Amino acid sequence: MGRYVIRRLLQMIPVFIGATFLIFLMVYALGDPVTGLFGDRAPDAATAARLRAEFNLDKPVWQQYLLYMGNIFTGDFGTAFNGRPVTELLAQAIPISFRLMLVAIVFEIVLGIVLGVVTGLRRGKAADTSVLMATLVVIAIPTFVLGTTLQFFLGVKLGWINPAVSPAAPFDELLVPGIILALVSLAYVTRLTRTSIVENARADYVRTAVAKGLPRRRVTTRHLLRNSLIPVVTYLGADIGTLMAGAIVTERIFNIQGVGYQLYEGILRQNSPTVVGFVVVLVLIFLVANLLVDLLYAVLDPRIRYA
Amino acid sequence: MTDDRLLEVRDLEVEFTTRDGVVRALNGVSYGVDAGETLAVLGESGSGKSVTAQAIMGILDMPPGRITGGEILFQGRDLLGLGAEERRKIRGPKMAMIFQDALSSLNPVLSVGFQLGEMFRVHRGASRKEAKERAVELMERVRIPAARQRVNDYPHEFSGGMRQRIMIAMALALEPDLIIADEPTTALDVTVQAQVMDLLADLQREYRMGLILITHDLGVVADTADRIAVMYAGRIVENAPVKELYAAPAHPYTKGLLDSIPRLDQKGGQLYAISGLPPNLLHVPDGCPFHPRCPRARDRCRTDLPPLYAVSERAAGGAADATAEAAEAAAADAAHDDIARVPEVGERSSACHYWKETVDDARRA
Amino acid sequence: MPEPNRPDTPLDAQGAALDEAVVTRGEPGRARSLSSDAWHDLRRNPVFVISALLILFLLLIAIWPSSIASRDPLYCQLSRSLEGPAPGHWFGFDTQGCDVYTRVVYGARASIAVGVCATLGVALLGTVVGGLAGFFGGFWDALLSRTTDVFFAVPLVLGAIVFLSMIQLSGIWPVVLVIAALGWPQIARIARGAVITAKQNDYVQAARALGASNSRILLRHILPNAVAPVIVMATIMLGTIIALEATLSFLGVGLRPPTVSWGVDISSASDGMQFRNAPHILLYPAAALSLCVLAFIMMGDAVRDALDPKLR
Repeated sequence: MGRYVIRRLLQMIPVFIGATFLIFLMVYALGDPVTGLFGDRAPDAATAARLRAEFNLDKPVWQQYLLYMGNIFTGDFGTAFNGRPVTELLAQAIPISFRLMLVAIVFEIVLGIVLGVVTGLRRGKAADTSVLMATLVVIAIPTFVLGTTLQFFLGVKLGWINPAVSPAAPFDELLVPGIILALVSLAYVTRLTRTSIVENARADYVRTAVAKGLPRRRVTTRHLLRNSLIPVVTYLGADIGTLMAGAIVTERIFNIQGVGYQLYEGILRQNSPTVVGFVVVLVLIFLVANLLVDLLYAVLDPRIRYA
Repeated sequence: MTDDRLLEVRDLEVEFTTRDGVVRALNGVSYGVDAGETLAVLGESGSGKSVTAQAIMGILDMPPGRITGGEILFQGRDLLGLGAEERRKIRGPKMAMIFQDALSSLNPVLSVGFQLGEMFRVHRGASRKEAKERAVELMERVRIPAARQRVNDYPHEFSGGMRQRIMIAMALALEPDLIIADEPTTALDVTVQAQVMDLLADLQREYRMGLILITHDLGVVADTADRIAVMYAGRIVENAPVKELYAAPAHPYTKGLLDSIPRLDQKGGQLYAISGLPPNLLHVPDGCPFHPRCPRARDRCRTDLPPLYAVSERAAGGAADATAEAAEAAAADAAHDDIARVPEVGERSSACHYWKETVDDARRA
Repeated sequence: MPEPNRPDTPLDAQGAALDEAVVTRGEPGRARSLSSDAWHDLRRNPVFVISALLILFLLLIAIWPSSIASRDPLYCQLSRSLEGPAPGHWFGFDTQGCDVYTRVVYGARASIAVGVCATLGVALLGTVVGGLAGFFGGFWDALLSRTTDVFFAVPLVLGAIVFLSMIQLSGIWPVVLVIAALGWPQIARIARGAVITAKQNDYVQAARALGASNSRILLRHILPNAVAPVIVMATIMLGTIIALEATLSFLGVGLRPPTVSWGVDISSASDGMQFRNAPHILLYPAAALSLCVLAFIMMGDAVRDALDPKLR
């Protein structure tokens, strides 16, 4: 197991380098970091040149990348659009986004799996068909439409929630945004669990469990569920990425000052250190989440070889 | 019906609803097993062997399956009249099943110790520790080497033969009165097959269990079975003690099966193969379902569905030494008594209008 | 990130080891291939029929919007801003005083064009990368799979926002380009898996033994088998890509006015909650977008169910 973890960690390195380089390339090669510093005013040529030299922008892009990564590993993420260090912005935004994602993930796991199991066991019945249709509708309505509409009805019309989340973003204010963020993934988790349950319910080992005289409940929880959740766990790992990206939309709608919100501000203001810094952190979170899921996967399915 | 009669299936009928219509998988199947007896159920794929077994165990998928008639008497009780919970309590302590493919029939993500111990925890209320202890004992029972070290291993870590032993151990766990083994050795190597069959036969003798051995392998049957029920297209076509059936089959289908076994003493001869394909259960032929493939088929076979005739030694066997004419005369006499008589479940019987000729031909050969 | 090694036999065996009586239902008199079987199922599946008709309709209005909307989507009367439904203007007017109905009809073109073109790009790129990785294995597989992992690690929305805001261009083609360039890893993984499965088929081994060339094996034997899962995935993705275009437009980096698209209209309707007094300006484009996405997802779903005999 230990060797497996090390091997996976080593495999992550090229992926991390590649993904961050890709974003770095977009920001530093396609965009113009210097213009970004000045906002709408155009800098004079001499100042621009001085800044280019200062930020190593006159060097080839791969050198810039190496220098940038070197700084990152010493904890220097550069200066954000508001003049404060990017790290400070990150420290402020990450806990907020983490809370939002926690709400979303818990909601999606609990409700998604329950709905998936219920529909999978009642395949073809009315409850199954209606939940399936509902998941399709949820997938089809874009998050930003649902988000704005719910914000309007719950926040403005009914006044049940605060339409804009306060800067502190406590859990209770993140409930509705978290659910909206989770909805599409919730629909996928439901469908995936259902499919997996349906497939496994016909498996020979389930028939064996019934033939052993086990009570229905035990057959479902001990034998069917455990096997059926293996693909769902894999999905949840990849979904961390979707949730992080989706948070850009949700955080913008509800004015939540998390990672997505700050990243979006950075993009709008063309502030390269903010954009690259945040993306580097997001990629890292994504990779670590996937590693954890892989390990969980190996625990759930003993057939995985740690070779 | 003897007092020893453990299980008796009477006129069992099962249908499956499929996309292409209703399939009649079983059309009145009857057979019986006594305590300590081995009944081999023989037939091609789709003949209804496994469906009968699943109906007895109560693990038939319903829907699409449906039991439309008949009864399953187990220790004097009709199982079909019992509620789901009562049936569940019979599975395990009273009857158990061994499946064909142990790799897919064992749960891949649970250790074999857990799966064996589960029987004791659920049916006997044993503690986790106790259950594990019993699991080790069971594994030793079925002669798995280093049982104590391997009890926490997963099914995929065992060889095919060892896995099938675990299946057997699981079925034996609560010392049931009846074991149904559905092609227990089909998925195994030939050398391992013999070991597993020997083990099963030993344990059956030891515990004096009834055993229903579902197979399409006549070689396995000869060594272990007491009686044989041959199935074709959802019916029993012949039911006989194993020696009598081998000596002289009373149904052309059984004869075809026997003739298709390679034999050392007839080296060089052409191996017999039953012509044609098993019938499509959506369109079972009129009359005798076997008639399109039967070398003995006559007009009557195409129209009249043969009932199970009682096969008596007096009618056929007595004529063995006589001339063909005398034999036919004797058969004609006997026919008066036999045709009207419905055979007892378990009595030697054949579902062929011309069973006498079949038996006699076999004797003469 | 590579899938952990796992034996593929147990799950396959479970699917195959159905009850013997049930297995016979696959062979009623006439033999049926999987694809004709799937087609037989699909024609009777109301979900498929409805979604196919809907897609056909949407494609037609995307090509000939003028056939059902006679006005000009860019002709607006500010004096009628946010007015409700009126005779000849069933859906009312938006903030600029443009006819919402006409804009909804014309919006189909941009949304579907982006969806179709980007999906084609994604499918093509993904199939090539995944197919080559699966077919050649070894070094090429390692290289291409790691490349796939790299692109997989960058969330599509995130990458698209960064890219589009950096190049400072908007319009259909940049959006198509960025989605195609970043969205292919999912297809690549599916294609790679399908090719590896197909490669192990006996007839492919036989073709190889008979001395068929690599390209012939790939094109004749492997591709036809690998293409079905890719098509299913691509159909489902088409729906989500249309939604993605709208999301990008909502965030201000996708399509921008004067381009007429559902995303642009939804974006301007929700900007500052302009829809609070005139819900129709949000409702109609949002409904059209959702219906279109739903149609493609339903179709992909129905096709997948039909092609996967395990779920019957």
